[in-house]
Amino acid sequence: MLLLILKRIVWAIPVLFIVATISFGLMRIVPGGPFDEEKSLPPEIIANIKAKYHLDKPIPEQYIIYMSRLVKGDMGVSYKYVNRTVNDILGDAFPVSLQLGLLGLALAIVIGVPLGTIAAVNRGSKLDFLSMLVATVGISIPGFVTGALLILVFGLWLKLAPVALWESFRHMLLPALTLSLSPAAYLARLTRASVLEVMEKDYVRTARSKGLSSSKTIVKHVLRNALVPVLTVLGPLTAIIITGSFVVEYMYAIPGMGRFFITAVSNRDYDLIMATTLVFAVLLVIANTIVDVLYTVLDPRMQVKG
Amino acid sequence: MKFLLPLLAVALVLVLVGAGWNQKSIKPEPGCLRINLGTEPPSLDWSVTVDNYSFDVIANLMVGLTQYRNNLTCKPSVASSWDVLDDGKRYVFHLRKDVLWSDGKPVTAHDFVYAWRRMLTPATAAQNSFLFYDVINAYEFNSGKLKDFQQVGIKALDDYTLEVKLRRPVAYFINITALSPAFPLRQDIVEGFADSWSEPEHIVTNGPFLLTKWQHEYKIELTANQRFFEGEPKLKKIKYFMVPEPSTALALYENGELDFIDNRSFPTPDVERYRTSPMYHNYPLLRNNYVGFNVTKKPFDNKLVRQAFSSAIDRDVFPKILRRKEFPSSCWIPPSLMGYDANSGPNFDAARAQKLLADAGFPDGKGLPPITLLYPQREDVRLVVEAMQDQLKRNLHVNVELINQEWKVFLATCRNDAPQMYRSSWGADFPDPETFMSNFTSRNGNNHTRWKNKTYDDLVERAGGEPNQAKRAALYKEADTLLCKEESPLICTYLASQNILVRPWVRGLEFNAMDLQFFKTVWIEDSSPLSFRGFSRGICRGSSKFESIKLNAVKSRQIPRIARNDKGCRISQRSY
Repeated sequence: MLLLILKRIVWAIPVLFIVATISFGLMRIVPGGPFDEEKSLPPEIIANIKAKYHLDKPIPEQYIIYMSRLVKGDMGVSYKYVNRTVNDILGDAFPVSLQLGLLGLALAIVIGVPLGTIAAVNRGSKLDFLSMLVATVGISIPGFVTGALLILVFGLWLKLAPVALWESFRHMLLPALTLSLSPAAYLARLTRASVLEVMEKDYVRTARSKGLSSSKTIVKHVLRNALVPVLTVLGPLTAIIITGSFVVEYMYAIPGMGRFFITAVSNRDYDLIMATTLVFAVLLVIANTIVDVLYTVLDPRMQVKG
Repeated sequence: MKFLLPLLAVALVLVLVGAGWNQKSIKPEPGCLRINLGTEPPSLDWSVTVDNYSFDVIANLMVGLTQYRNNLTCKPSVASSWDVLDDGKRYVFHLRKDVLWSDGKPVTAHDFVYAWRRMLTPATAAQNSFLFYDVINAYEFNSGKLKDFQQVGIKALDDYTLEVKLRRPVAYFINITALSPAFPLRQDIVEGFADSWSEPEHIVTNGPFLLTKWQHEYKIELTANQRFFEGEPKLKKIKYFMVPEPSTALALYENGELDFIDNRSFPTPDVERYRTSPMYHNYPLLRNNYVGFNVTKKPFDNKLVRQAFSSAIDRDVFPKILRRKEFPSSCWIPPSLMGYDANSGPNFDAARAQKLLADAGFPDGKGLPPITLLYPQREDVRLVVEAMQDQLKRNLHVNVELINQEWKVFLATCRNDAPQMYRSSWGADFPDPETFMSNFTSRNGNNHTRWKNKTYDDLVERAGGEPNQAKRAALYKEADTLLCKEESPLICTYLASQNILVRPWVRGLEFNAMDLQFFKTVWIEDSSPLSFRGFSRGICRGSSKFESIKLNAVKSRQIPRIARNDKGCRISQRSY
């Protein structure tokens, strides 16, 4: 297991290097710069700004400056938010997204896996149909629609939950629910398919013929094996969900990092774009590594050899 | 297992009920004004920031030599008086001795000299430093050609006397002294705390409120400054939330969690819904919208074609499609600024437009090359250019192709090679026609039309230095007529407006066309016997007798007074 983790860390270095290089190149290709605003500035002021941020240097030199800072853990400065470093910005925003994301992920698992299992166990029944209907609706409706509906119903009409903001635990409920619905629906469909497949296996039939109760069979024999494909998607899903959702954070006014995936690009805030991309890549590598480790826990046959 | 789903649903509802049961009826937070800023201010460093989100906060944290009244004339502030000497080329400001920084130290002339030196230092890269280029040697110092700041025309004659020397008489200079880049700075604070000097734990300010909390991307809190030289404000606290989504901000307002929202938080369909509400207020902003012609490209190298296009547009259509009480205008100087004359621009006259086009050699639009109009991606802008496309088709039989681009790409295109037509707008930097008129001078970087006219340049230059107000107004009027009616490198369309909703317990609020939000005169009437629950819905829908009674009760109370004087404009308004 240790070898597996070490291997992943070694592989992550060239992956991150390539991600950083491609992102850097793409940013410089896109027309418009960070200081292009409606009001044109005199050339002398533009020269001052470019000198301050090293944008007056050739692009290869800018790349070297950026990468040499990056290896020291310095992700640069924001061109939009004066006097703030990217490390500061993400240091403030990431914990918020992480907090919300973990709750959303927990909700997605708590809703999705049982829903899929119920549907599979009751295959062909009304309950199956209803569960899959809910799952299909959950996948089909985008977050900004479900978010708006939840705000309208629970926030404005019933006044059961805060409309938005980030003041207390109860302010997390609606955004976490919004964030979780689509992954929950996806997990439900995946779990259903996986459970159905496992239920056809000989060892499940054997367990039943030996007189094991239905619930024990499902929990002990079916779910344990059925969750392997679910785990596969949980890796990237975790990275996506804990780095924040632009829609959910925007809609509920949550100070997370999800919004930077969009606003940093529209502001051409180069260092911030790089940082969000790299943080996402790092989390993806970490989440996938954890998933690989969990594979071996669920199924010892999946031990990776050196 | 089969009970799991209903159990989960019940549990979820119980959690939500438990979490939200203590939701209160709509009422004020005592002594606190809660408003939506919309987004994170890029900086509270008043020397370098250029956006209106930052200014909204800074306007309540700091005061400069002068201060705008709500009618946007300048009044003394840190400077109790000033002398204008040497035919308008030298200003001597006499500073009050009772203005204190928030840590108790006095504000002195040296703080202004330091602030201006820092702002003009090339390494600071302050974008608004060009506003000070009329100060002797400011341009040379800012562009790195001069290293010795002693030669720049600002000097502390003593602790409380500040001298500013200009290279030419500048009639609007006093307006510049009320802008945030001219505010004083404390050298020990800025240099002692480097990049973090403007964070709440370090910042010192001299205005009516103190910065006490800044949760980035979420909330800023200000509290009343007991040392403010005009007296402690009545408001104890201001909470600026940063809710980017307008419909969410409106929902917070309707839920009683915000007391005040403006255009940033007010979707157009909801403006319609609140139009008749006493909480709704509207006033024009000094942001003029236009479509420019690139006069170096055919057919707009011919001024008759430009005049024809400008005369073919009925500006009255814009408020009907945008529905925010925009002010149609065919001239460049906004109403209430000196030099404004509605007749400076062309009137809508389709017959005249067709004749002009025929005179240009394109009868019924025949022979015209393909014409494109570029606009930035935004819903309201799309509505405007589509309306213009339609009018040009109907009135001139001309086909115009619309092309949209993402904002920054659009800006780069206009700057590098503007197409035949492009849509843009301009919000004033300070309340004077100069800020509008200088845009179309030959050497101005904002003049994407590439139109150059020596007469126009001379008129604007002369007006800028003319001390006699009547003569200044006449010069600007002449220049505006030349620009909009005779040469027409642009089609002026309409002035934007501000739409706001204010809860009735917010008192003393005044507005100005520059949209500077000064809250030092505001207070919260929080000892109200009236339940405001449902207030907003009641007055908007008026659907029940009960709601009507409440509405009348509220109407009988003092509704916030609105200053309708719309002279002035907003500093560096956000790009639209």
